[in-house]
Amino acid sequence: MNIDNTASQMRKGVLEFCILSVIKQGEVYPSDIIEKMKTANLNIFEGTLYPLLTRLKNAEFLTYRWIESNSGPPRKYFSLTEKGGLFYKELEATWNELANAVKALSDAEQQFSSNTPDDTSLQQP
Amino acid sequence: MKQVININFHGQVVPIEVSAFDLLKNYTAALSNHFNNEEGKDEIINDIESRIGELFQERLKKGATCITDDDVNAIIKSMGRPEDFEIDNEKATTAEKNNSQQQNNTNSHANPKRMYRNENDKVIGGVCSGVANYFGIDPVMVRVLFVLVALFFGTGILAYLILWIAVPSTASNIIGGTRKKLFRDPDDKIIAGIGGGLGNYFGINPWIPRALFLLPFLSFVFRFRNLGFIDFPDFINFSFSPGSLIVYIIIWLVIPEASNTAEKLEMKGEKVDMNSIKNSVMEEMKGVQKKAEKFGEEAASFAAEKSQQMSAEFKGVVKRNGLTLGDIIGKLLKIFSYFIIGVVCFSLVVSLFAIAIVSIGIFPYKDYVFTDGWQNAFAWGTLLFFIAIPVIGVITFIIRRLAKMKSNRKVLRATFISLWVIGWVCFICMIALVSRDFKSSNNLFEQEVALQNPGVSKLFITNRTNSTKFLRNQWLRFEPFAGIDDDSVNVNNIDVKIMKSTTDSFKVTLVKMVRGSNRRWADTLANKIEFNVYQQDSILVADKGISINKKDKFRNQKVLIIVYVPVGKQIKIDRGIGNGFNINLGDSWDNDRYNIDVEEESSWEHNVDYIMKADGLYTLNGVKATESNNDRHSRVKIGPNGIEVREGNKRVIIDDDGVDVDDNYRYDTQQPTDKIDSLKIKLDTEKARVKDSLQKEKEKLDKQLEKFSTNKTTTNNHSSSKMLFINPVAVYL
Repeated sequence: MNIDNTASQMRKGVLEFCILSVIKQGEVYPSDIIEKMKTANLNIFEGTLYPLLTRLKNAEFLTYRWIESNSGPPRKYFSLTEKGGLFYKELEATWNELANAVKALSDAEQQFSSNTPDDTSLQQP
Repeated sequence: MKQVININFHGQVVPIEVSAFDLLKNYTAALSNHFNNEEGKDEIINDIESRIGELFQERLKKGATCITDDDVNAIIKSMGRPEDFEIDNEKATTAEKNNSQQQNNTNSHANPKRMYRNENDKVIGGVCSGVANYFGIDPVMVRVLFVLVALFFGTGILAYLILWIAVPSTASNIIGGTRKKLFRDPDDKIIAGIGGGLGNYFGINPWIPRALFLLPFLSFVFRFRNLGFIDFPDFINFSFSPGSLIVYIIIWLVIPEASNTAEKLEMKGEKVDMNSIKNSVMEEMKGVQKKAEKFGEEAASFAAEKSQQMSAEFKGVVKRNGLTLGDIIGKLLKIFSYFIIGVVCFSLVVSLFAIAIVSIGIFPYKDYVFTDGWQNAFAWGTLLFFIAIPVIGVITFIIRRLAKMKSNRKVLRATFISLWVIGWVCFICMIALVSRDFKSSNNLFEQEVALQNPGVSKLFITNRTNSTKFLRNQWLRFEPFAGIDDDSVNVNNIDVKIMKSTTDSFKVTLVKMVRGSNRRWADTLANKIEFNVYQQDSILVADKGISINKKDKFRNQKVLIIVYVPVGKQIKIDRGIGNGFNINLGDSWDNDRYNIDVEEESSWEHNVDYIMKADGLYTLNGVKATESNNDRHSRVKIGPNGIEVREGNKRVIIDDDGVDVDDNYRYDTQQPTDKIDSLKIKLDTEKARVKDSLQKEKEKLDKQLEKFSTNKTTTNNHSSSKMLFINPVAVYL
């Protein structure tokens, strides 16, 4: 097993969920999403974000509208669609199940297991 | 000079350097190549480009005249290169395949528990919460513990700093976390930007490191001794004060300045993801590998060269396998010589540091030796240039070597060497000036001490008075200097000599010795030596040391206590007095030969009872004091009669008769004669009556013994009969 690869797979799985939970809070601009994730200690490249947003939009979970900005070109502001909301709820349920299971298992194994960065950062949003 | 062009980037006019434009073109091409198979490729590229355009506008708004290479690189870094995007499953799997060979090496990564500084829960550097996390305790407890340790011992601060630097941050573990490089910050500087750089590195206010550097200097001025109830540790006074200056200079020399935008970004924290960490680690591993290979090659060529020489020499001797043997011996010699050279270099460096530390520690005492003016100036010069410069030079050399820095090599070397030459000049001048003050000695004469009761039978010499002063335990203590007050030090230059008294009472005299620039000044200084000796019953109490103040300076002051012991009386000297730890600058007094008539005195040991006899000093066991030192401790005796080795109750004698092994030496003649001798001494000192009665008992015993031995001839046990002979005597005494 390659630790890097496993970790990146793990992150990849929850990345969409994280993005959706940021967008759920209201209309946002992509670099806002990056900022919010950074404060939650989950740093990703902007270049990773755009394709994901496009994919989610193409799957009709997201919609966007252009808003003029006073610096540079107009910006795309994203918001959840109804379908996206449902999708998010499902994801949330799955996540909670998973998080509880992982916590229960790792707690049972060692009482003072150090929190992995993923755990702490992902539970916060 | 760079050419700038204007481009239309997403409807905005952007002035950009040609080279930066090329970078940008390459980047967008790579992106579009990467997203080729992606659905909605154009939209993604469009989004990214418009974001880049926005960032460009941001830069321009901040006052940049045009977009430079650095700007584009920074933007690319924050957007991520295509190989950084981990969206492609296939890529990840191929990467895994590529890495599968390396997995064995990186398995240590999977170590479940590693200590990290906790970036999410930190007060200063996250050390405490990291430690708490590691041991599974509450971080508050660890913090309280650290604060307590820091308050009471001061070392807690040091431990914290070391942990801060040594323990990686959790941020280094988080994918896309920040990795920082230490740079000096040219934008936020007071002297060299070290405070700013350190502040950036640790993510703290730059004034914190500045204060840490400044604090020790302030402590030079205010002596943090007793601030009310808070007892500030001397630790900071001593080892940090000049240390922080040295550390500052070394950091200055070693750490590069962040000169361009990329470095400034790195200084403040660059975005790094797993791939780049992996890459940098792999690069480092490659570097190590290369270094190892290079070293191997060099070693091999060196060995080959040497072994050829060796084998040429050895061929004549060992013809059959000369080459291989020469090879092996050459290699062994090489390894051995490298080892020796390494050890020598290491010990040189260590002793250099030791000298530096000791001299820094001794430096506060300089006022007791040097007069103001030139002597003082040269003392400072010696400390800074003669002692500190080589230390800084060695540390700088090592660090630059490790970091493979090659810039300014010659300049640095020349600077260090010339500064050191100045140091040598200072040192020599200092020695010359100071030795002038030590040129002549004073007139030596014996000064008799009035004793209350010179007729006592036993005298115990001590410097421990009943009113013991409790000295504060200091972090750094310099043994020869017994105690430091503010304006004087005590020097323990006291010797005790034991002589035979011509009368039947004790007599104690003092000889004061001192050096000065001329004889008259030395005599004046000798008069100023205050050294008190007084008698309390059978105890002679002497001062703990000679007090020296800053005005009269230390000029090899020394006091010799001569004790005249009458025959038949006892003397004992306490451990703390005249222990031989004399401080002398230049020639010691022994080379000077006191011109008073002192016959060769008996050597003595501390805390041993001695008795004066007509022909010298003896222990109570009857061993002559001059011999006792050698006799009692040595197990191997070599004399004109042969060699004697003792171990427990076994004895081996090698002499003309051959080798004689005695398993039961304890009962041999050696010990009994000793005992009888000691008895005789006691009998001497006791009354003759006891002697007579003993003689009678002895005769009786002899008769008994004769009877006994004739009875026991069959089981002739030599040793037991001897034992019987000796024991009754011992019982009677």
